[in-house]
Amino acid sequence: MEEIQYINEHLGPRYVGHFAILLAFFAGILSMVSYFLATQYRGEVLRSRSWQRLGQLSFLAHGAAVFTVIGCIFYAMLNQYYEYQYVTAHVDGQLQQRYIFSAFWEGQEGSFLLWTFWHVILGYVLMVTARSWEKPVMAVVCSVQVVIVSMLLGVHFGFGDFLLKLGSNPMLLLRETVNAPIFQQADYVSLLRGNGLNPSLQNYWMTIHPPTLFLGFASTVVPFAYAVAGLWTGRHREWLRPGLKWSLFSAGILGIGILMGAAWAYEALNFGGYWAWDPVENTSLVPWLMLVAGIHTNLISRATGQGIRATYMFYLGTFVLIVYSTFLTRSGVLGDTSVHAFTEMGLEAQLLFFLVFYFLLSLGLVIWRWSHIPVPEQEEATSSREFWMFIGSLTLFMSAILITGSTSLPVYNEIREWINPVYDGLTLTDPEAHHNRFQIWIGIFIGLMSGGAQYLRWRERNFRQHAKYFALHTGLAILAAGVLTFLTLLWIQAPTFVFKAMIFAGWFGVWTNLDYLLFFIRKDPKVAGSVISHLGFGIMLVGIMASSGNKRTISQNQFLMEGLTEDEQLARTTVRLYEGVPLGMEDYVITYTGDTIEGMNRKYRVDYERMNDSGKVVETFQLEPNVLYDKGFEKIAITNPSTKHYWNRDVFTVIMGLPPEEQSVKVRQETEDSLQYRLLPLAPGEDVSFRDTVSIPQRNTSIIYTYTVGLEDFRRQIDHPEYSFEPGDIGLAATVRALRSGGIANHDTTATVAIVLREGLLYHYPAQINDMSLRIKIDESVFERLLVKDDDLDYDEFVVEPGSTFTVDGQQITFRQFISQPQVDHFSAKDGDIWVSALLEADGQTMQPVFLIRGNQPSGVRDEIRDLGLYAHLTSLNPETNEATLRVAKIRSQAPLQIPLAVAPRSYRTDYITLQAIEFPGINLFWFGSTSMMLGLLISMVIRMRDKRLNAPE
Amino acid sequence: MKKSYILAVLLVIIAVVLLFQTGNATSEYANFSKAAETGDKVQLVGTYVKDKPTVYDPLTDPNYFSFFLEDLSGTEREVVLLMGKPQDFEMSESIVLTGRMQDERFIASDIQMKCPSKYKDEEEMIKNLTES
Repeated sequence: MEEIQYINEHLGPRYVGHFAILLAFFAGILSMVSYFLATQYRGEVLRSRSWQRLGQLSFLAHGAAVFTVIGCIFYAMLNQYYEYQYVTAHVDGQLQQRYIFSAFWEGQEGSFLLWTFWHVILGYVLMVTARSWEKPVMAVVCSVQVVIVSMLLGVHFGFGDFLLKLGSNPMLLLRETVNAPIFQQADYVSLLRGNGLNPSLQNYWMTIHPPTLFLGFASTVVPFAYAVAGLWTGRHREWLRPGLKWSLFSAGILGIGILMGAAWAYEALNFGGYWAWDPVENTSLVPWLMLVAGIHTNLISRATGQGIRATYMFYLGTFVLIVYSTFLTRSGVLGDTSVHAFTEMGLEAQLLFFLVFYFLLSLGLVIWRWSHIPVPEQEEATSSREFWMFIGSLTLFMSAILITGSTSLPVYNEIREWINPVYDGLTLTDPEAHHNRFQIWIGIFIGLMSGGAQYLRWRERNFRQHAKYFALHTGLAILAAGVLTFLTLLWIQAPTFVFKAMIFAGWFGVWTNLDYLLFFIRKDPKVAGSVISHLGFGIMLVGIMASSGNKRTISQNQFLMEGLTEDEQLARTTVRLYEGVPLGMEDYVITYTGDTIEGMNRKYRVDYERMNDSGKVVETFQLEPNVLYDKGFEKIAITNPSTKHYWNRDVFTVIMGLPPEEQSVKVRQETEDSLQYRLLPLAPGEDVSFRDTVSIPQRNTSIIYTYTVGLEDFRRQIDHPEYSFEPGDIGLAATVRALRSGGIANHDTTATVAIVLREGLLYHYPAQINDMSLRIKIDESVFERLLVKDDDLDYDEFVVEPGSTFTVDGQQITFRQFISQPQVDHFSAKDGDIWVSALLEADGQTMQPVFLIRGNQPSGVRDEIRDLGLYAHLTSLNPETNEATLRVAKIRSQAPLQIPLAVAPRSYRTDYITLQAIEFPGINLFWFGSTSMMLGLLISMVIRMRDKRLNAPE
Repeated sequence: MKKSYILAVLLVIIAVVLLFQTGNATSEYANFSKAAETGDKVQLVGTYVKDKPTVYDPLTDPNYFSFFLEDLSGTEREVVLLMGKPQDFEMSESIVLTGRMQDERFIASDIQMKCPSKYKDEEEMIKNLTES
């Protein structure tokens, strides 16, 4: 096949990007090897230092290459070079600039690059700050970088029939990834359009959530690297101090990233909640739990020398779990159990290698050094703080195991199916209930321990001496928590004992930590971070119970269905709202008042009024849930909720459905086409009746309705409420009356219909009379009836002064006068127009042909006296003689004009929405508590970094 | 740290026991005949039967959507989903329902749909990408 010379391709970013990816890969390998050797030769200072130097230089080059790849992709995306497959897949012409970042990390390659980006930044920080730890730590970071960059290589090796695909290159051209006839055209680039960004990601949370989460993901490599370095070099105690700072940072950022994801789900998705135990959520939570367990054992080891082995295992495990999470979400193994896993990309083998490699590395190192790790002779006392902190860590670890175990069910299925292909996969029937059942107990346990342990002392030798203090404070805390729980139960419900215990545990944690803070903040500022975190955890427990345990569906279903269980009844949470018709739901009255379309976004306005017991309105607010249409208005891409935030509760509303006619213009046209219109030409004052049979499928019967439609009057002023005037519009409006008899009740309605001709296009303003499912519009044939073409008329010309009379076809016409700038209904002036009309009278009726000068161009507007069949133009006027040149024609007088009305029965209403409304009490407690938990971790880190005493070399 | 080890082992045992209890919370995907036998809440996989009546009329009841589903063993039954008709329902390749059998109907309180990836073949993808 001959080579095609493509035109308009922008190959610059491709060459630069490909080169940069290769550079990043090989510089990463060089850096890894150099740092590895620098660590191995650490005994020989000069040799080690020169290897370290090479490692530093090559890591700098590696980082620059990673930045270049990212820059190339952004360059191609910003310029919309659709010849790149990554650009076509994630960008389109309508993408707003502020979502360009979302589009970048929408794809697997982009998110891998984001990950490597943070690794590079963290690597640079480590090169400056890690000092004696730089060599082994950077060797580990580089090895991870090499593995991740290899996912972007896009290199194929062939060994005979066996093809090894290494990575997926984001800089490939579309024509290199798919084979299609379009690439036979040299100018195919100009034909391409983008696919665009998934609408659910077009949200500001998606601009900040992924980078934060990925910084959290990426930073777990640092504690991991320190742990590996500690095992590798045998300095088992020295790494604990920098390791702790980094893991505090990592846990804080990862936690904030997870919370941002929860906030995005709550603000932008329609499932009505912030946490759903979705596998993707779980696999990001689990490493965080493990890391927090590690932080606690790390603190123990720093304070007492106990638990170094556990700290090693927790930090190593955290990173392995991060890789496991990557494997689960990106290999496609989660398949249909998760709504937001990535699709398969052929990286399964590589991801599996990634996972197995770091798992075995961690395991091997721990086994190799196990007996070498120092363990104090003396065992800790049961009444010591470290003992209970250790129990707390183990509880977190258990929580992590439980969540991982349930989330890994698809992996288990995959393995079983691999052994036995006919094996049917297992599935969790109700994942939310399942996880909650365990995790509530873990939450209670942690809440109680995080409070009680604060009153215990490190390395307790003589508890008896301390027992009084402990008993007093704990007793007081139990009392206070009991009172607070009682007060809380006046506000929210906690039907079971477990739920009550959870609230109690929450308040116990809050009280004890505040108590502890007041006593100890002056002695040791380090407690601030810990107290803020544990306090936050307590508040979060109460917040979860309040918001999730007490969430109240306002939009209770109003239709009965027999034979349902209570749970099933509760699942029916959608209500239907007619436009303008208020609906009472629980203590609210809600009204759908209208909607506006802006671009592809359709915003609905829903008014809420809350009533008190006596039916008085105590508050009103408006929510604006919206739907986003797909390109071409053919379907709805996504619905976004709208939430009213109060300090003590949120009211959440999301649109669950629209009438099919409002979901797709195609369906709307089909519905319009399927209507059986009857054409009824009616003169003013006339009416006509017809019958229609409507079947009622539920009752196997039908009903005969008699419709009467009458024309009251019509006019050239278009006064339909939905019509907005534009210059140049021609049209007419009519008042119609419709009656329906038969059925349960008779209906009688008067409505306005209109038709407008604007720039050659016809616009109907029909009347949809919902009471009788009747649709009335003015048929477009009205224009043929109304308008008599000039060509069909035989004009005579007259030059006359005002006051004179002339005759056309025996009809006497008097030219009364000129009227300057008249307001007439057949002409509307624009700015700068000069116009004059001639007032003509015939048989007591008048008409006013207009002479117009618009932009130095003379023209005219015809007028008519329809009854007499008279048509007149004012072609010119002579200012000197005051004479008008008129062209007048007469045809036989016509029958009084009939307006053709098109009337269709069985036209069903489309002015409704279905929506869901949920009240979340105390959700701010959840946000406040969980956020302060994460901030506490970061505060601890900052305090530890600034504390000179702590930073003194050991 | 002997005591801690014992506790650690104890906690791991509890975790493992709880995990095995997870077995009770899981089930194989059922079919209509199994669901009818037990009457319990089950998860069921099947495909939408396009040529049987599909009813969703929000004007009558916005939480009632009925259609016919063919399960993996080939049985067709009417399904009543207790919510509105989901977006892209017709396009779904396979459907996972959570619910129970009541007489001849399957009452579903939850639905998960597996939709085909946006473009089945490359030709269609290119067609889509070139449409303005």
